[in-house]
This record gives sequence, C-alpha cells and structure tokens, in this order.
Amino acid sequence: MRYLRAAIARIAGFLTGQRADDDLRDELQAHLEMATAENIRRGMSPEEARRQALLAAGGLTLAAESVRDQRGLPWIEGVVSDVRYALRTLRRSRVFTTVVVLTLALGIGANTAMFTLLRGTLLRPLPNRDGSRLVYLRQSAPGAQQHNVLFSVPELADYRAGSKTLSAIAEYSSSLPFTLVAGDGAATRVRVGIVTGNYFDVMGLEPVLGRLTTTRDDGPAAAPVAVLAYGYWNEHFGGDPSVIGRTVRLNEKLTTIVGVVQPAPHYPSETDIFVNTVTSPHHLSATMVTGRSHRMSEVFARLAPNATVEQARRELTQIASNMFHDHPEAYEKAAQYAITVLPLREALNERASFMFWLLMGAAAFVLLIACANVSNLTLMRGVGREREMLVRAALGAGRARLRRLLLVENLALALIGGVLGVLVAFAGVKLLVAFAAQLSPRAQEIRVDGVVLAVGLATSVVAAIVLSFIPRIGSQRAIAESLAPASRRTTLGRGRQRVQQLLVVAQLAVCMVLLTGAGLLVRTLTKLQSVQTGVRADHVLTLEMPLQGDLLREVMKQPENLARYEQIRDRVAALPGVDVAAIGAVAPLRNAMFASEIKAEGRPTPPNQATPRASVKMIDPKYFAAAGISLIAGRGFAATDRRGTAPVVVLSQAFARQVFGDENPIGRRVAMTGDVLKYSPFSGDWRTVIGVAGDTRDRGLDADPTPAMYESFAQELIINGVLVVRTAEDPALLQPAIIRAIHDMYPRQLIEHVSTVEQIRDETVAPRRLNAMFIASFGALAFLIAMVGIAGVLAFSVSSRTAEIGIRMSLGADARRVRRMVLGEGGVLLVMGLTVGLAGALFAARLLRGLLFGVTPHDPLTLGAVAFVLAAVGVAACWLPATRASHVDPATALRAE
Amino acid sequence: MADKLDVKQGTLALMILRTLDVLGSLHGYGIARRIEETSKNRLTLNYGTLYPALLKLEQEGFIKAEWRQSENNRRAKYYALTAAGRKQLARETREWNQTADLIAAFLALNGETS
Repeated sequence: MRYLRAAIARIAGFLTGQRADDDLRDELQAHLEMATAENIRRGMSPEEARRQALLAAGGLTLAAESVRDQRGLPWIEGVVSDVRYALRTLRRSRVFTTVVVLTLALGIGANTAMFTLLRGTLLRPLPNRDGSRLVYLRQSAPGAQQHNVLFSVPELADYRAGSKTLSAIAEYSSSLPFTLVAGDGAATRVRVGIVTGNYFDVMGLEPVLGRLTTTRDDGPAAAPVAVLAYGYWNEHFGGDPSVIGRTVRLNEKLTTIVGVVQPAPHYPSETDIFVNTVTSPHHLSATMVTGRSHRMSEVFARLAPNATVEQARRELTQIASNMFHDHPEAYEKAAQYAITVLPLREALNERASFMFWLLMGAAAFVLLIACANVSNLTLMRGVGREREMLVRAALGAGRARLRRLLLVENLALALIGGVLGVLVAFAGVKLLVAFAAQLSPRAQEIRVDGVVLAVGLATSVVAAIVLSFIPRIGSQRAIAESLAPASRRTTLGRGRQRVQQLLVVAQLAVCMVLLTGAGLLVRTLTKLQSVQTGVRADHVLTLEMPLQGDLLREVMKQPENLARYEQIRDRVAALPGVDVAAIGAVAPLRNAMFASEIKAEGRPTPPNQATPRASVKMIDPKYFAAAGISLIAGRGFAATDRRGTAPVVVLSQAFARQVFGDENPIGRRVAMTGDVLKYSPFSGDWRTVIGVAGDTRDRGLDADPTPAMYESFAQELIINGVLVVRTAEDPALLQPAIIRAIHDMYPRQLIEHVSTVEQIRDETVAPRRLNAMFIASFGALAFLIAMVGIAGVLAFSVSSRTAEIGIRMSLGADARRVRRMVLGEGGVLLVMGLTVGLAGALFAARLLRGLLFGVTPHDPLTLGAVAFVLAAVGVAACWLPATRASHVDPATALRAE
Repeated sequence: MADKLDVKQGTLALMILRTLDVLGSLHGYGIARRIEETSKNRLTLNYGTLYPALLKLEQEGFIKAEWRQSENNRRAKYYALTAAGRKQLARETREWNQTADLIAAFLALNGETS
C-alpha cells in the first residue's frame, strides 16, 4: 500500500515536474533565509551569515537535483535525456548516421523479408486441423523415369484394408479443366479437384459457408455437388454468400454449389472447385474401379493416433511389396515401383524448402556483414568518442550510465534501420509471394505479421546491444591516466585494431562466398539460355482453343472438331502478317496431355529395361514449319494423312534412337502399348514411321530432350486444339487480329494460354532467374557494404597515424613508399579475406550443386572472376586512403602533434 | 567540537517523524535545527539529505505539507504527521528499540569473552 502510494506519487511527480520545481525553490529559499536570519541574530555580518548558512546546508542546485530524483522517475528522465542527446549527436554526424542506418536497414530488411517468406511457407503450422498428422502418399516408378504415377482404385483398396497406421485415406484427382457455364450462359474453364467424400474430413478443413462433402456424396447415385475454393469464390463470385444452393453446368452436368471451404494450400495442383466423383463419368467407369493400373488419384491420409510417419512408411512399403508380388502384370519389374510417405508439410515445400533456407542463409550473411561494418564504423567513431567518454566519466558519469548512453544511441540507429528494413520487407511482400508461388503452394500465406515484426525488432535490438559493447569504457584508473596531459591523442589499442582487421577479413570472405554463389547461378542461367530447345522460339504465338465439356464425349466428335480447327487455322493463315499457321494438340515446349508406352515391331524391349515412353503429339502438316522444329529424316505429315488412310507417325530423334538404336526407323512400325491404353480411347494399332524430327526440350531447358511420337492431327482422335502462328513481325501485335478472326467464326470458342514460345521457354527458367536475382542482389549488397568497410578502415587507420606518417616522411620516406605501406596493409587484409572466402565458397558451392546446370560447383572461371573483381575493387578502395597518406605534409603533421 | 556523524540510512525518517510528533507541525529549517540540537550538533543536515527524505515521507503518506505564514511573517512549507505517520512512528520506534536491545546484547556478549 505504502509502496503503491509512493509509486503513484512518483509518477505524478514525473508528470508535474515544473510546478514542483518552483515549489521546491521557494522552500529551499525560505530555509536559507531562516538560517541566515538566525546567524545574524548570533552576531554575524549579513554576508557572513548567508555564506555560513549556505555552507551548512550544502549547495542549492545539488539539493534540488537530489530532491528531483526522489520526486520523479530519474531512470526514465535519464533515458529521455539520453535519447534526446543521442538523436542530437546522430544528427550532428550525418554521414555516419546515414551510412549506418542504411547499412542496417538493408541487412535487417533482407532478413525480415526472407524470414517472412520462411515463416509463411515453412514455419507456420498448416491451416488444416492437426495438420502435422497429415501425410501425402506417392507412388513412383523411377525405372521408367516416372516421378509420380498416382494410385488406382484397387491399390487404394489394398492399402485401406492393410493399414493400421493410417486412420483414413482420401483421394483427390485433378483432371483436365472443366467447362463451367453459369446462369448467364457464359462459359469459363475451371480447375477441378475430383475428391472422395471424406476428403475434407481427412484434410481437416472447415467450411466458411454451407457444407463440405461427406461420404454420402460418393458413388454413382449421389447428386453432383461442388465446393468452391476460398480464393475462387472471392474472385469469381465476389465472396457472395448467396452462391450456396445455386446450380451451374459443369461439363454440361447440372451441379449444385453446396459450400465454400476455408483457405488452405492447394496441393498437388491449384484448384478452383472441388467436386464429387459423380461429376466425372470417367471416375465411375468400370475400368476405373477395377483396373489396377488405371491410376488417377493423389492420396492424402491421416496418421492413426500414436502412429509415426516412420511406422506408416514401413507398413505401407510392406503392403506395397505384397501387392507387387500378387499382381506382377501391373508392376513392370524394370520400372521399380515404390511408395513414399511424406508429411504433408514437407510435400508442400519439397521444392521450396532448400531454396528458401539458402536465401535465409544468404540474408543472414548480409546482416553479418552489415553488423561487421557498422561495428567498424562505431569503432572508428568510438575513438573520438572514447575521449568524450573519458570527459564524461571524469565529470562523474558512472560506467553503467555511459554504457546506457551508447546503448540508447545504437538502439536509435538500429531501430531506425529496423523500421526502414521492415518497410522494405513490407514493400517486397508482393514480389516475395510471386517468387514463392513458383515453388510453394503456401505462398498465399506469406504476410508480414506480428511475429515477423517482432523478429525484425529483436534483430535490431540484438544488433544494438552487440554494437554497444564494442567501444571501450575505461576503468576509473584508466580514465585518470588517459586524462593526464601526456596522452593527448587516443588511438585504437593493438587488440582493437586486430578486431577491426578481423572484421574486414570476415566481410571479404563472406562477400566472396555470396558472390561465388551468385556467379554460379548466373553462369547456370547463361548456360541454360544457350541450350538448344529444338524449336525456333522467336516470332511464334500459340493460342489454346480447348474442347469444351466432357472430354470423352468430345473425342467422339472428331470430324466436327477437325473441321472447326482446320477452318480456324486456314482463316488465321490468311491474315496479313502471318507466315505460317498450324494446328496441333499441344503447344511447342509444353508438356503433352498424353504419354504412352511404345513398342516397336520386331524389337522387343530387353527384360531388364522399362518399356520406352513417349509424349504423343498430334500435329498438322505445317506444325513443324510453324514451330521451327527440324525434320531430320524421311517426310513430315501430308494433307492426305487423314482418317481412313494408313496410320503414320514421326518420331523424335532421341526416341527413334532409344527404340531402334542405329537402325533406320523409316518404314518400321510402332504401336502404343501398356495397360493404360485399355483405359484410353486410343488404339494400339501398328503405325508406320515416316520421318524423324529434331528433339525438343518440353520438360525444361535443364532436362533431357523429351521423347516424342508425332501423329497426324487429321488422322488421330482430337483431344485439344492449339494454334501455332509464326509471324513476320512482333507476334504480340497480331494477337488481337487473330483472336478477332477466331471469334468472328466461333464467338463462343474459348481461347486460353495465349503466349509466345519465347514466354513458354522462359517459364521453365523463371524460378532459377529469381533465385539468381535474389542471391546476386544479396551478393551485390554485401559487396557494396564490404567495400565501404575496407575503405573506411584504411582511411581511419591513415588519419589516426598522420603523426607516424609525418615522422616517417621527415626521416626520408617518400610519397611512393608511404603509399605502398598503406596499400600493403590493405593488401594483406584483401589476400586473407579472399583466401578464407575461397575456402568458404568451395564449401558453400557444393550445397548449390542441385541448382546448377552446365557448371561445376568449383567452376574456376566463376571463382577466378569473383576473386579478381573483389581484389580489383578492394585495391581501388585502398587507393584513396593510400593517396591521402602520401600527401601528408610532415611539418604540418608534426606540428599538430 | 565533537566528531560529525553521517546520518545513518533509515534513521533520518524516524528522527523526522519523532520531531514532528513532539513539536507538531514544523518547516524544514525547524526540523533540521531541532535534529541538530537534539544530536548536540554532532549531526549536520544539508538540503540534499533532508528534503528528499521529507519528500519521500510525504509520498508515502506519513506526513503532509502545506504553505503557511511563519511566526516572523515568512511564507514557509509546514510539515505535520498524518494518522498513518503516527502509526509508522510507533512501529519504527518499536523496531528500533528491539534492534538496539539486540545489538546491545551482542556487544555485551563480546565483552564477556574477551
């Protein structure tokens, strides 16, 4: 009670300082007068009386000060005055402040941004209920170069029956986009996920509106229902709650929207609408339900209580090996079928995780350099300051108080830097999301939140604390000695200088590591740019004109669809500015919708090899010309290769070699084969090879050429239509005319994925380019900071050694010699930094191995170039202070001493 | 002249409270004089000691202050005990006596053994 009361009185006193001060002055004045009056009464002269009274009572000012301490909150008042003082000092040394604040802002900004990225995608728990218990199952066939072959209905039945470690298994299949016709009759294409009724329950997702699907929505008798993804609902229905209960036509099937699901990352593919299996006739067909190799489903499961991922992995591997044994016809031995169990969180960030941690590491390095640099600047300033500190100490400031003053100053610097840094991160969030979206489905969860701000703040505070303990505050004894007349100058002690030099070496080394990383990634990019894609990418525009509605039904309408596509092609070909127009089922460099195992007549696949697979691409006679794909042997397709004539194919060069070795493939026969063929509308008839075409790289510039089998568009079933237009001028200029021409003929024809082949090619390089850009900008940042650092350290060393240089020169050292001395000093630091950096770079580059293409991690060219640039700029940075040293006038220097 | 003593931590508050208890309300100068006289001038109180102590007691609610005319027509700040102050004085007196007895007993013990 008593203390509370006192505390309140103190706070009140703190707030009403001025009035209380007047009051106190009056009181002390009265005291003094009374004492003086009494002394006079005792017989002193008035002056003597007053003097004695003052002596007895102690100084007025001192008394006022101690009363003030008792009255208010001296600690806060002290800090307030420290802050005011710190800001004033910082304002006075503007260059120092600007450099430090900017350096820290960049360092803290880079870290906050990368932490934001990391937190949004990797660290934050999944929005799904008990997201850590979710696993993603993947079946692969590495022997057949198949990373993910999905699961079939009978396979899942086996897993469901045999597994005790999984409490529930849900299926999801992404099919081709569906055509959605809303009430107003306009058609759009939507990305659908066909899910089993238990999907949302297993995934632990809640509806934001309406209901989600349940097991009652399974089976052929259920009504078609749709659940909207949160993002799609907002973008296409404006977040309108009245969509619930509305019906739309999905691939011509009347489907009721029953709910909207909470926002959650979509994996493995972006999804607009979740539908139950009844909406996809394919999913209920007899072959789908009973065909073991008819694999369509991605699988998500929830671990049983107490089960671990490791246990699930063991159990499922056991079930799988039994399965492979019981059904050898569905698991070709050479394909090496296998199952993997991944925690969903890891699966989501399979591609992102390494990259993001790498970037975080690079950002941490930048901060390290920034801090080293600021320490250096502080050290240099600290020399000037040490004198100030001495004077303050001599005037009675305690060491703790001096430390506090420094801390306040550095906090002010770091916090301003931190705030700027966080603003940088804020501004960069959009860019970050765009970058992350290429690697992680969780990119949408990236935002600057409280935790991110707290981390930014904590980084600033830690930096400030570290910086505050670098300048030395002497003991009382040292203070006394330093104030002695003989020591007029203060310089850094040997130990301090060593620290400073170490900091420079460390900066250079870290710089070298970052720049080497950046250099390797940039070299990778240039290597990729020079990779032959197999097409002539310039001046080619592609437009996709998909079939609308259920694909299986559409495929049956071959003649009508062919007529329409050919008519569009011919009309576009006649447009002015169009060199060649062609039609095919897939755009150049894009992945084909359909791939199949292929067998060759008279050449059985060796038993230890998986059956060769190829992308199946239907193209018209002009397609090769339009895309700039070369014909290596034989002939291309002719207008006469139509339905009813003998089936013909063209093979890609790599694939022809894979199937026929060195034999001439022309005139030989091949056919699609494999279990999957049973479930597709394509025929396994023999087809005659009429030509060999150049290879293309559809799976990215860093991948091997894609094995391909081309068929005649007019001869095969039609599953898609892509217009490929080679133009004389910039294709973008012709785009509106082409679209207008198509809509003139078929106003309701959907047109999608309009892009040039150059854009398609760059898409595969884009994530790499961003990686390289990030690392390179971190490297550049570090480089800049480090160079300011080394120049600053040398400049300081020169200016604090003016006297020494003066003496040297008066003893006969000439300007050149002095310059060499300073340059040598910098040179030693440079060499040490580069040596340590080289070792670090060789180590760090090994981590990058997976991201490189066409360069080895210890690429001598990159390492040499980086070392050379660092050394060159380093020498340049040393030159300025060295020149200044050589211009020291010995007489002036000595007189100043 | 007798040796000057520093005012021991914690004892000044008790002296002030006791002085006000005996003399009623009094200004700072009066309190200082009275304490010095009582100590036979072995204690000197400067402003820097006295006034913070007064302020602390006021903050704790043991004394209250008001401005009044003094006997020789000067404006001065008069301090007086509050009810809480009286209780505090009793408590501190008791504690002080106990401590003094205790210390005396220990000193006596020392004298016997040596």
